[in-house]
Amino acid sequence: MAKPFFASDFESTMEALGVALKSALRALVERGWVESGQTFYAQLCLEEALVNAVDHGNERDPSKRVRIEISEEGDTCVIRVYDQGGGFSPSDIHLPELEQMNGRGICLIRYCMEAVAYDNETNCLEMRMRRNAACPKEG
Amino acid sequence: MSEGALVEFIERGAITVGEVHAGSVLDALNVSQFGQEVVTYVKQRQGVRLLLDFHRVEYLSSAVLTELLRINQTCKEVGGDLRLCALNDDIRKVFEITNLDKMFTIYGEHDDAILKYARALSIEAQEDAWSNVQRDA
Repeated sequence: MAKPFFASDFESTMEALGVALKSALRALVERGWVESGQTFYAQLCLEEALVNAVDHGNERDPSKRVRIEISEEGDTCVIRVYDQGGGFSPSDIHLPELEQMNGRGICLIRYCMEAVAYDNETNCLEMRMRRNAACPKEG
Repeated sequence: MSEGALVEFIERGAITVGEVHAGSVLDALNVSQFGQEVVTYVKQRQGVRLLLDFHRVEYLSSAVLTELLRINQTCKEVGGDLRLCALNDDIRKVFEITNLDKMFTIYGEHDDAILKYARALSIEAQEDAWSNVQRDA
């Protein structure tokens, strides 16, 4: 596993999440994975993954931690988000009924990223994206 | 508009425009405030016809979609209606990916949205009047 060029470990609060999100996005821009001014989908996927870890994984328990690591593997950027929750399988999550309140975050990530997986042993959501490719698939 | 508020409400005839002033983004940190402001406003106005204008908003996440569904539900509870306008291309794409473009009526720019919403209300009123005539006949 390549050494991360960005890593952050934070408590499960929305304030700490906001700080980590901004730092992670800045790192993606600085390393050239996302163009400045074209950050919408990268920010969306980062936010959905981090909110999922804080809200659903750690249930906003401030004593539980979330860790984000971003590394490069050839022409792929790998974003890993670790939580301390009960785990889930992204493939089991389907687009909810129209009036259902929640459950769209992972669907958005799956649509925008090259690949998404969750490892229940390490409690890690892994997202893979190509350079400047965190955008909706067309067609 | 009160200081620190994210939404400014302006009455335009039968329609209330809720202009979202969110410092250009609606993210995990301010989304609850956004939902709370709009729900509080709607609960005080029976039959409100609300048009939320997003022309200043550059970014939103699925947390905002959840708040919009909650606002929509509250509008229905008071016999009102929620419609949206002026979404940028990226935000519109988020609605398409989640199929919520099929749930919400989404208009283009503000002025066009007001015209189309007013026309829809006018047609609705005519249909109601016609139904009443038929029922009374």
